[in-house]
Amino acid sequence: MAARKIISMKSIFYTAVSLVWIFGLSAIGHITMVLIEKNNPAIKFNFGKGCFVAGLIIIYLTRFLKSDGWQSFIGIMGGFGMWFSWEYSLMYAGERMGVTYAWNGSYPEYRLMEWSAIALVMVFTYLMYQESVRCNFIYFLRRKLRLMRGVVATGKIDNYGPRTAFEYIMITWTFYVLLMLGYDEQLFGAYSWFTYLVFLASFSVFFYLCYKLLSYDKFGPNLKYAIPTVTILWNDVEILSKWGMLKEPWVHINWPIMSVIIAGFAVSTYLIVKDLRKRKKEMIESKDIV
Amino acid sequence: MRNWKYIFIALVIMLFAQSVQAEEAAAKKLSYDERMKIIENQFFAAAQEGKTIKGVLVEGNSLFNGTTAPQNHYEKPYAKEELRPVKFSAERNSKVFLLTKDGTLYYPTPPKGERISQSMNSPRIPRVLTEAQKKGPKLKPWATLVPLVGMEVEVFGEVYPGYGGIKGIYIESIKFEGDPQFEKQD
Repeated sequence: MAARKIISMKSIFYTAVSLVWIFGLSAIGHITMVLIEKNNPAIKFNFGKGCFVAGLIIIYLTRFLKSDGWQSFIGIMGGFGMWFSWEYSLMYAGERMGVTYAWNGSYPEYRLMEWSAIALVMVFTYLMYQESVRCNFIYFLRRKLRLMRGVVATGKIDNYGPRTAFEYIMITWTFYVLLMLGYDEQLFGAYSWFTYLVFLASFSVFFYLCYKLLSYDKFGPNLKYAIPTVTILWNDVEILSKWGMLKEPWVHINWPIMSVIIAGFAVSTYLIVKDLRKRKKEMIESKDIV
Repeated sequence: MRNWKYIFIALVIMLFAQSVQAEEAAAKKLSYDERMKIIENQFFAAAQEGKTIKGVLVEGNSLFNGTTAPQNHYEKPYAKEELRPVKFSAERNSKVFLLTKDGTLYYPTPPKGERISQSMNSPRIPRVLTEAQKKGPKLKPWATLVPLVGMEVEVFGEVYPGYGGIKGIYIESIKFEGDPQFEKQD
C-alpha cells in the first residue's frame, strides 16, 4: 500500500487535472465515433484499423520512456487506440452477423461485447494470481480471499506504459460488460434492481476513489488511478442516458458543452505535459508505485 | 529516440488526418444537415401526395406461426403480455414486417440491385422529425426497426412487387411519435 499522505493543494491540483483529462479523452473519443458515423460512415472501419496500428505502435514506443509520468500519459493513449479498434471490430462483426439493436436501444457492438463476460473473468482470474500485478483492487481481493500461497513480487516497475494501456482496456471492458449485463432485458433490464445498484455503487465508489486519488501528487500515479475513477463515474453518465434523463453532449453533438470539455482537455493536456517536462528537467526520479 | 514524443504526435495527427481527408471528400458532396433536409423534404412532399405508407411494425416469427395475430388488432397489435416476447424475438433477429391497416404486409429490404446485404433489422434509418418534435427534447435523427415493434410508423421508400402477396419495401426514411427506447415496459 502507498504510504498515506496529507492531502495538499498540490495533490488536489494533480487529481483535478487528471480527472478532467481522462474525462475529456473519453468524451472526445465518443464524439469522434459519433461524427464519423454521422458524416462519413464509409471510413469507420479504416479508422478502426488505424486506431489499432496506432495503439500498438504507441504502446511499443513507451519502452523508450523513463519517467512513469510520461509512460502513463502515453500508455493511456495506446490503450485508448486499441480499445477504439475493438469497438469498431465488433461493429463490423455485428454487421456481418446481423446483430440488431436491442429494443431498449443498446447498440449491436455492445450486445456482442456483453458475451465476452466469461473471457473477461478468465483474464481477471489470471491477473488475480499473477504475482507481479500491483492493482489495489486485486490486492484487496487477494488479501480478503486469501488467494496467494506466497509473497507477491516486489521491486521497481519499468513498463508503466503497457501496464497503463492494459489497465485502461481492462477497466473499460469490465464496466461495459457490467452495464450491458444490466441493460439486458432478458437478464436484468435497464430499470432493474441490478442497474439501480450499479448506479448507486458507482456513484458512491467514485467519491471514495477521488479521496484515494488525492493521496498522490504526481501525474504518473494520478493519471493511472484517474482511469478507474472516471470510468466508474462514466457508468452513471451511461445509466442516466439509458434512462433518458441525460442527453449526452457527445451523442447529441451539443457543441457548447463539447467546446467546454475539449477546452478542459486541451488545458489539462498542456498542464500535464508542462509538469512532466519540468520534472524531467529537474531530474526528479519517479518512485515505485505499489 | 530522444524526440520520440514528436513521432507519437505525428502518429495521432496522421490518424486524424485520415478521417479529415475522408470528411473533406464527403463535404464536397453534401453535408449531413443538407442530406437530412433533402430527406425531410422528400418525406413531407411524398406524405402530401399520399405516397408514404402508414403501418405497424410486426414481428414475423410469431405472426407466421400463428402465435400472435397483430393483423386482427391494428390499433393495439399486441397484448401487454405479447409485446415483450415479440420484442425479444425481434432483437434475436426474427424478421420485422410492416403491416398496413388494409392488411398488406411489407417486407423491409435493401434497395433493388444490392446483392450482398444484411438483416434490415439492423441498419439505421433516417428519422424525419416534425417541427413540434424538433422543439421538444432532443431526439436521435435515426431509428432502427427493433425498438419500434408494435408501434405505428409512417415510412417513405421504394416499394417492390415482392412475392406471394407480400410486398418488398426499401425504407428511406421513417416518422413516428415518441422515443420508444426510453419507455419503461413491464
